[in-house]
Amino acid sequence: MSTRAETDFALPKRARLHFGDLALRGITGAAALTVLIVLIWIAYKVTQQAWDAISTFGLGFLTSSQWNAVTNQFGARDLIWGTAVTSFFALLFAVPISIAIGLFLSELAPRRLRGPVGALVELLAAIPSVVLGLWGILVMGPFLEQHVEPFLNDHFGWIPLFSGTPSNVGLLPACLVLTIMIVPIVSSICRELFDSVPSDLKAGSLALGSTRWEMMRSVAIPQVSGGIVAAVILGLARAMGEAIAVSQTIGGTARTGWSLFGSADTLASRIANQYQGAATALQTSSIAYLATILLVLSLAANLTAALIVRRIRRRMGATR
Amino acid sequence: MQRFRRSALLVFAAGTVVLAAACGSGGGTTTVTKSSGTPTSSKVLTGAGSTLVYPLVSQWEPDYATKAGVTITYGAIGSGGGIDQITARAVDFGASDAPLSADQATACKGCLQIPWALGATVVTYNVKGVPNNLHLTGPVVADMFLGNITSWDDPKIKALNPGVSLPSTKVTPIYRSDGSGDSFVFSSYLSAVSPEFKSKIGASTQPPFSTGTGAAKNSGVAASVQSTDGAIGYVAISYIAADGLNQALIQNAAGKYVTPSVDSIKAAADAVNTARADGSIPLVNPPASAATAYPLSTYTYAIVPKTSSKASELKAFLTYAITDGQQFGPDLGFPPLPSAVVSSDKTEIASIS
Amino acid sequence: MSAEANPLAVVTKRSRRRKRVGILMEALATAAAILAIVVLAIVVISVARKGLPAINADFFTKNPAPVFQTGGGIKNAIVGTLIMTGMATLISVPVGVLIAIFNTEFAPPPVAEGIRIALNVLAGVPTIVIGIFIFGVLVVGHGQSAIAASLGLSIVMVPLIARATEEVLLLVPSTLREGGMALGATRARTVITVILPTAVGGIVTATIVAVARGAGETAPLLFTSSIFANSVVTDVHQAMASIPLTIFVDSESPSVADQQTAWAAALVLMAGVLIMGIIGRALSLRTRRQIERAR
Repeated sequence: MSTRAETDFALPKRARLHFGDLALRGITGAAALTVLIVLIWIAYKVTQQAWDAISTFGLGFLTSSQWNAVTNQFGARDLIWGTAVTSFFALLFAVPISIAIGLFLSELAPRRLRGPVGALVELLAAIPSVVLGLWGILVMGPFLEQHVEPFLNDHFGWIPLFSGTPSNVGLLPACLVLTIMIVPIVSSICRELFDSVPSDLKAGSLALGSTRWEMMRSVAIPQVSGGIVAAVILGLARAMGEAIAVSQTIGGTARTGWSLFGSADTLASRIANQYQGAATALQTSSIAYLATILLVLSLAANLTAALIVRRIRRRMGATR
Repeated sequence: MQRFRRSALLVFAAGTVVLAAACGSGGGTTTVTKSSGTPTSSKVLTGAGSTLVYPLVSQWEPDYATKAGVTITYGAIGSGGGIDQITARAVDFGASDAPLSADQATACKGCLQIPWALGATVVTYNVKGVPNNLHLTGPVVADMFLGNITSWDDPKIKALNPGVSLPSTKVTPIYRSDGSGDSFVFSSYLSAVSPEFKSKIGASTQPPFSTGTGAAKNSGVAASVQSTDGAIGYVAISYIAADGLNQALIQNAAGKYVTPSVDSIKAAADAVNTARADGSIPLVNPPASAATAYPLSTYTYAIVPKTSSKASELKAFLTYAITDGQQFGPDLGFPPLPSAVVSSDKTEIASIS
Repeated sequence: MSAEANPLAVVTKRSRRRKRVGILMEALATAAAILAIVVLAIVVISVARKGLPAINADFFTKNPAPVFQTGGGIKNAIVGTLIMTGMATLISVPVGVLIAIFNTEFAPPPVAEGIRIALNVLAGVPTIVIGIFIFGVLVVGHGQSAIAASLGLSIVMVPLIARATEEVLLLVPSTLREGGMALGATRARTVITVILPTAVGGIVTATIVAVARGAGETAPLLFTSSIFANSVVTDVHQAMASIPLTIFVDSESPSVADQQTAWAAALVLMAGVLIMGIIGRALSLRTRRQIERAR
């Protein structure tokens, strides 16, 4: 499939200068230009609002764990930590599950089931994040606090992750909610990737006597490993940027610590909670600084994923 | 084909019209957007701020709509948020239990603060097995929020409550994570009675509590206290009865353990007769002469710009609030404003243009 | 290819182990898929069970009651979501389709690639950052408004519509284009009269999917339309209530009545979103088959 309509034969000059063509070219070009303009404008506007904090704190903001409206000292360290921990564990749970689901839908499931099961997994992505957060606070949180966390604390409390007092908010509920959000995204990309592995490669491996699992492990997964990396990065970007469901389940008290139980906070969640009620102008600007950090992280993640995909497409383009 | 072409063209046309309308001024509505300030529509007044006064304002909304035909839109985002919003002139009026600091007053560029309701912040707790109306003192509460008292069977708490069996549950302080007038009242009181609290944390709308869990808005603190065994927190008075929360009886300067109620709040208001130069009337920690006063009482203020494009609507609404509107107060725990305050308010309101 | 069927196959301990590992892995993969479906079921059933008791005629026809009072519904939120999502759709569908047309018809390949990357990056910007952006541009100094909220939602929806429309446009067989050109039509005329009508089904699908997403977004509304009246507002220069924000605020409330409202509103939202998702998927399969038949 080409990426451009296959009608590039030379047109007579007359047709090329037709007003309708120019108009349509102009108006569609303008629409495309707005995408770039909006992107740049977003970066500009957010950085502008953060400028006060950036010029006051500089890069020390990233390593300071202060958040004090009285002394007007703010720092992002605890929030970066919260974002890192929630994203890491969300990926840790979601990536194996997503690859497994991708394999299931691509290879293992009976043909008739692939459509419906795939649709159901994608429906998980259609659940609005605020509804997942609602379920997280009122159903999953109490369940974790009353059954899961005490169990983990009693039996594995020596691991720093499972130390601390069980609570109905905290890093663990937030991680699980993020996992639920990431799995549909990563698994649907994985499924497409596995479907795209040339069937002769798969058949060849099976013909040589591999089991289906060995075929996937030694042929399919390595073949699309670049794509899987891109999918994981996209999942990471989604996890880092989620504000609503995380702010509902994480508690809101920023801290740096290993315990998965108990209140914490992330960049996105703090922005959602405090942006409109900041006590001082510097606090508002600091929250915009958090948004700038978040924007930089998400741009880096999305650009990396896009470049990986471009490289893969180029390599594949040679064989199409 | 013709059908599709027409419908496709129609969609584009509609979209272009909407785009043009959104960029231009007014899309068929009767409002006019001025170059500065909120859009002026004489039928709507927008306000934001204190969650303490929110239950009262939400009673005013339908009543005032019927009486004056004006829709009041109020966003309960916390006193800090209310001050921010009115400073940015993103709303027509702000509401805050904490008076404007000197910096905030300068930033607000000519804002009046008009006490329009009388309420209180109440210390609440949730400990399995411990009944309602526990006796506590300011210094003890300060110690709990400083992390000096860490379990509910601490001797200091036991000494105040000889008849009550207290478990060894861990103390979890719950505080407001957003800019809050209740935080201001709470931290002002604790700063007044505990020198250690004053030096370590101090009085503000967002005190830097070092231990415990933060929650946004009164509803968030109430929810957090309800779901945490061993929690101690502070909420506005209306939320106690409405959410069935326990209340702690705080010992006032006269040595009495006072129940937060319309009467005890009124007693605190009666003990303070003069307003400060900026219009604020602090009621926290009333002197021992007010024997039945509740120590965490507070006025809550409407913060309005001295000049506003909606001056007449604001004046009418504020007058309603301090007169007819007060009838809804007592059921929510708000005593009516003292008449002296009402008259000085009326003078302030008259100066709005 | 079992050992019994093929007499030449050597059955060793090792091959038995490999087979067992294979079966274990397949079982795990199946379990993962089942886990995902089970979680979906748990969430949907929770919302349905807890939300249904509060669904009655009042819920849809009444505005919220004053704080601490029971009764009342979410009429203002339903109207607000319909208006704001509707406006966002009216803005993002033309823009998204125009971008897709540019990419497929007019843009040189490197430019098209660049626009595509830009769209993907825009789609990946956290919605809370989009909220801060719109707040800084439209709300500061002017107050909150449904227009600001709709523009925030459009920024979320445009990449979705543009990407999906581009996919559909590329599916349109080039024979149609060539036919149009051969008959002497200009590029523009061919696009408008031949290609777009063929792709209309796909565009409608893309719109439905984007609307389902936009209706459930909360972060773009958080700073642009969060201070709203407890009655129905139709003036687009004012802030409006919305279903996602109602759920967000009520979910954190200690009052059981509020939580009940949150569940019921979540049920309404989820039902709408899931139905739109199912319709969208069904339509997309149908469109794909239609276009493939035309090849």
